[in-house]
Amino acid sequence: MPFLVEIASIVRSKNAGPLTVSFDLMFPTEAAYLQAAQSAALTVSALALVFDRPAKEINVTLYAAALAIKITMPRAVVSGSPGDRDVYGAQQHLPLLAVQV
Amino acid sequence: MSAIQKLLARQPTVMRILSASGQLGYGIPEQALRAGLARRPDFIGCDMGSVDPGPAYLGSGIMATSPSVTRNDLALVLKAARSLDVPLVLGTAGTSGAAPHLEATLDMIRSIAREERLHFRMASIRADIPAARVSKALEANELTALGGSLAVTHADIESCTNIVGQMGCEPFRRAFTLDPDIIIAGRACDTAIFAAIPQALGFNMAAVMHMAKIVECTSICCDPGGRDAMLATLNADGFELESMNPERRATPLSVAAHSLYEQADPLTFSEPDGTLDVRFAKYTALDERRTRVSGATWTGAARCTIKVEGSAPVGQRAVLIAATVDPKVIGSIRTLLGDVEKITRGLVEGNFKIFPRLYGLDGVVAFGRSEPVPQPREVGIVVEVIADSTALAMAVAKTLKQFLLHQGFPGRLSTGGNIAFPFTPPELAAGTAYRFALYHVMPADDSTDLFPVSIENV
Repeated sequence: MPFLVEIASIVRSKNAGPLTVSFDLMFPTEAAYLQAAQSAALTVSALALVFDRPAKEINVTLYAAALAIKITMPRAVVSGSPGDRDVYGAQQHLPLLAVQV
Repeated sequence: MSAIQKLLARQPTVMRILSASGQLGYGIPEQALRAGLARRPDFIGCDMGSVDPGPAYLGSGIMATSPSVTRNDLALVLKAARSLDVPLVLGTAGTSGAAPHLEATLDMIRSIAREERLHFRMASIRADIPAARVSKALEANELTALGGSLAVTHADIESCTNIVGQMGCEPFRRAFTLDPDIIIAGRACDTAIFAAIPQALGFNMAAVMHMAKIVECTSICCDPGGRDAMLATLNADGFELESMNPERRATPLSVAAHSLYEQADPLTFSEPDGTLDVRFAKYTALDERRTRVSGATWTGAARCTIKVEGSAPVGQRAVLIAATVDPKVIGSIRTLLGDVEKITRGLVEGNFKIFPRLYGLDGVVAFGRSEPVPQPREVGIVVEVIADSTALAMAVAKTLKQFLLHQGFPGRLSTGGNIAFPFTPPELAAGTAYRFALYHVMPADDSTDLFPVSIENV
């Protein structure tokens, strides 16, 4: 099984407002997109393990028009509050780098 | 006749809309702006802020951008709009769009006008929301956190130094009636900056909102993305997109993908007056670097709602910066920090919190459980202290620093000191710390008193 990063063109994270972090997976071809979209590794329950978060907090949206998959979850700490580690949420994609699809 | 009045009277059926900046104050690429002006846009829009940079700016009333760069950017767009005699619409003035940000932006514009001998009518729209209004919504159980959970009490609302609401198109339309050349708004939906004029002209709302959603970020929707001015050409049922930098291509894929950017849901977008759905939108290449978009749908809201943002001080912050390369210190660092915090609490009295970040171990990643294997060669240590006063925060940082430097532990090798300091003093007072106390949505159907508009001759 290839790693997600081997078939994706972009794997990124960013806040969607100060309470939510959002992950975008974008693919260069329809084949790569479908391989990821149909993978058991990118279901809510599999991602709950990857991110160590309860499954009910995780949302996955398939967006075929852009050959993209979006994952969202509440931030662990509200953006910029004391103890936050990433105000923009732009460096939270690390756990996805180990995912195989 | 003002620029707005001329445009509304002309009733164009095709409109050229120039987005000059998605983050005014960080420098506007001039060549693309000039290329955009050569296309004779019907109006120029700029977004100037966001919640992205965190709660400090909304809380303190200070801009995130440098005053000199901000002034340059404002002068560029102001001169551009006046040279074409077209409206300039600017939203979320001064990073956060609260009263101090709006005032600072208006002052800069007045000063530029004096210097450049420009004369125009300037409308401004305030976005500050009275705490009592938010408390009323809380009481009525009508205050909903956006996207996560953020519990809020009346005391939390009262503790905010600034509370703003994101205005939609309606306050802009009220500003148009005051006959302005330029409109400077406090906190505003990014879309309203670009949607209010075409909406007033009766263009199809689905196309208007979809266009506004994309162009507010200038050329970020292109491949490769960038910050150059973006031109949208709007007609009866859709719009065309073109970057004003010839190296940036707006392709069907790059434009469709932009819906993902900083959004929880890439298919539907809630605005104060309705919801945009782009599920069935069509993206068609006109050539290598222009795309036509149509087919989104717009559903008007049964009840107008607004997003409210509030930032509250949580204390004074001190920061300690250090690092270590000793494998034994790295292996024991969490225990060491725990021990040193205990010692510090025994020595320094008062109310304070300590938040260490260990760069190289888990200084950044908030999710997942992975630990680096093998152990990293260096670990950066940033310790944040939040206390009731700067003196107390600094006392904690200084004490913790010295004990962390000399604390013994089993198997210790480098008895000269456990940590390296990059400079002296390694502990810095970082001013007041803030938090977002409000990021909620509330109904605003009795909103005639919100977002007051005023006009002045500059």
